[in-house]
Amino acid sequence: MSPVTGSYIIGNAKGVHGRVATKLAEIALEFEADVLLLHNGSQVNCDSILDVLSMALVHGSEVQVILSGQQAQPALVKIGAVLTAENDP
Amino acid sequence: MKSEKNKATPSLSGDATSNLLQGIGVSPGIVIGRVVVIKRHTCRAGRYHLPPDYIPKEVARFHQAVTQAENELVKLRENFADDLADALSIIDSHILMLKDRMIYDQTIRFIKSENVNAEWALAQSLNHIKNRFDKIADPYIKERYTDIKHVADRVFSILFGHEPSQLVKENEPVIVVANDFSPEDTMQLHTENLLGFLSEKGGVTSHTAIVARSLNIPAVIGLTHITGSIATGDTIILDGGLGQVIMKPDPEQVQVYKQKALQSGALADELAPYVHLASETFDGYSVRLSANIEMIEELQTVHRFGSEGIGLFRSEFDFFNQQRQPGEDALLVTYRQLLETMSPHPVTVRTLDVGGDKFLDHLPDHFSQLDPERNPALGLRSIRFSLHEVELFTMQLRALLKASVYGRLRILLPLVSSLPELHQAKAILRKVSSALEKEGVAYGTGIELGVMVEVPSAVILADVFSKEVDFLAIGTNDLIQYSLAIDRSNQHVAHMYDPFHPAVLRMIKQTVDAGHAQGISVSVCGEMAGDVLCAIVLLGLGVDELSMRPAVIPHIKRLLRHFHYEQLQQLGEDVLRCVDGEQTKNFVKAYLSNHYPYQCNCY
Repeated sequence: MSPVTGSYIIGNAKGVHGRVATKLAEIALEFEADVLLLHNGSQVNCDSILDVLSMALVHGSEVQVILSGQQAQPALVKIGAVLTAENDP
Repeated sequence: MKSEKNKATPSLSGDATSNLLQGIGVSPGIVIGRVVVIKRHTCRAGRYHLPPDYIPKEVARFHQAVTQAENELVKLRENFADDLADALSIIDSHILMLKDRMIYDQTIRFIKSENVNAEWALAQSLNHIKNRFDKIADPYIKERYTDIKHVADRVFSILFGHEPSQLVKENEPVIVVANDFSPEDTMQLHTENLLGFLSEKGGVTSHTAIVARSLNIPAVIGLTHITGSIATGDTIILDGGLGQVIMKPDPEQVQVYKQKALQSGALADELAPYVHLASETFDGYSVRLSANIEMIEELQTVHRFGSEGIGLFRSEFDFFNQQRQPGEDALLVTYRQLLETMSPHPVTVRTLDVGGDKFLDHLPDHFSQLDPERNPALGLRSIRFSLHEVELFTMQLRALLKASVYGRLRILLPLVSSLPELHQAKAILRKVSSALEKEGVAYGTGIELGVMVEVPSAVILADVFSKEVDFLAIGTNDLIQYSLAIDRSNQHVAHMYDPFHPAVLRMIKQTVDAGHAQGISVSVCGEMAGDVLCAIVLLGLGVDELSMRPAVIPHIKRLLRHFHYEQLQQLGEDVLRCVDGEQTKNFVKAYLSNHYPYQCNCY
């Protein structure tokens, strides 16, 4: 199965802070999919809340998402929604 | 002369108490009790080399510690209802961190590759994470390292074999004092005998404050070094509304505060219905009652007490909260949240209102150097400082304008004393807006600009200013001090500080009339607005909006709803005929005791 990708702009005014990162990691752990986040030349696996936090994704920054696995497509939809949401999950 | 951190609003008679400490009140309520000081022993992990056959056992020991920590967190989570969503989501993130590969896998890898003990391996993992977080520029995300530290500390403490849980082993309810609380501490303490809590640390992004409020535990934060000056067993009084702590109170003080606590409890029940009622007179004449705040954290309180907007947001906190100057983005985060949360109600943000020397002291690497001022109250401060540091002012205005698309913004310029000052500020504002237009950045169309009337010259020129601005805000604290030439912190003259001084009341009237002649609104945002005796006078003088500490809004709303508009107008006229402050005060007192059935000496 070929990977699915998406590109998103961070919508939360405080950036990807604790609550957002928690939700992202929860999705990555819940779905049968490998979720990678790419930003500014670095890449992290989305199932690690600390990796995601340390990427320091501030409001307005662009992030690429690459998913592979059985549930890549539905996971992408959820991940994309959290990344672009203006409000805390 | 001008007190910057004036969260403390003691009664207007203002007698100082020597054993009183002023912190930041983050969760209201008055409690009296003995304290328990929690001193965390920082566990220093030694490095021990282990023989190879011991390694699997060590890995198992670490795994067990993590599992126990997780169980503790899960158990703690179960104790709380789902309506504490904020607090629960913090625990969820801590559970995820605990099992995160940067902590869990990495520590096991260290144990195996270096043949070392779990404590040392965990400390190394934590160090790696710290190095990564140190490089993060965004203060809010960077601050999350504190959470990781709390999580690791829990595991450390299990590894070291410290007693888990129970931070307090007292039988009687106590006030808990610590350098800092983790959100879990705060939640765990709730299930024990807890009256209130007091911490040295805590600030804008402090979870502790949020959790305390959602649990309804009185709390004061920001009292640096308190754990050094207080011992387990001491009695204190803690007032989470005013942010005050009274150390070792005498019997008389205990009596006074017991009374206050009783009153405020009874009053809270009595006033609760007013929170959701419209703020208008008995016959339907509306007066806006809004809140004075200085931290985003206070927004919850603002809603709880039924405020219809922010009448004064003191914007200094973002500038003093950290060692370096905040960037435009950091300010934008604050302003956006402020406007979004309060929308559709208006939010009045006062631009930086500090003395220049004080500000630059705080930022040692700042480019301009100022000599210490001999008379700071009459020196380079407030709008004067902003016009001197145009870059700084520009940055704040840019952040404000960018935030304006998220709600109803009113920009308030402090200490304006002449027209050219206002013109300069307006010119900078115009520059900022045209720069944003060029950059293609959107900003709100309905932004209002106002000046603060707090020096006599502004009162006299109020008619001139009114033609140039959208609203006037009278800052009575400073207006009284500047016009009566009274420094309230000077004990020999403090008693002469008099809100009922006829000169003060006439100045307020003159300002209101000048504003109304141009069809603009006039608000009051000093302590007078939140004091029943003074507020009724202000209403009588025709003020359109009163802005005060959130907790007193229901009091003033009850007052407002009790009277007819004509009654208030008549009172205003009568008061203006009084020629000395004492006479005015007695007149108003007598009027209230004849016409208002509720007690009003509670301030």
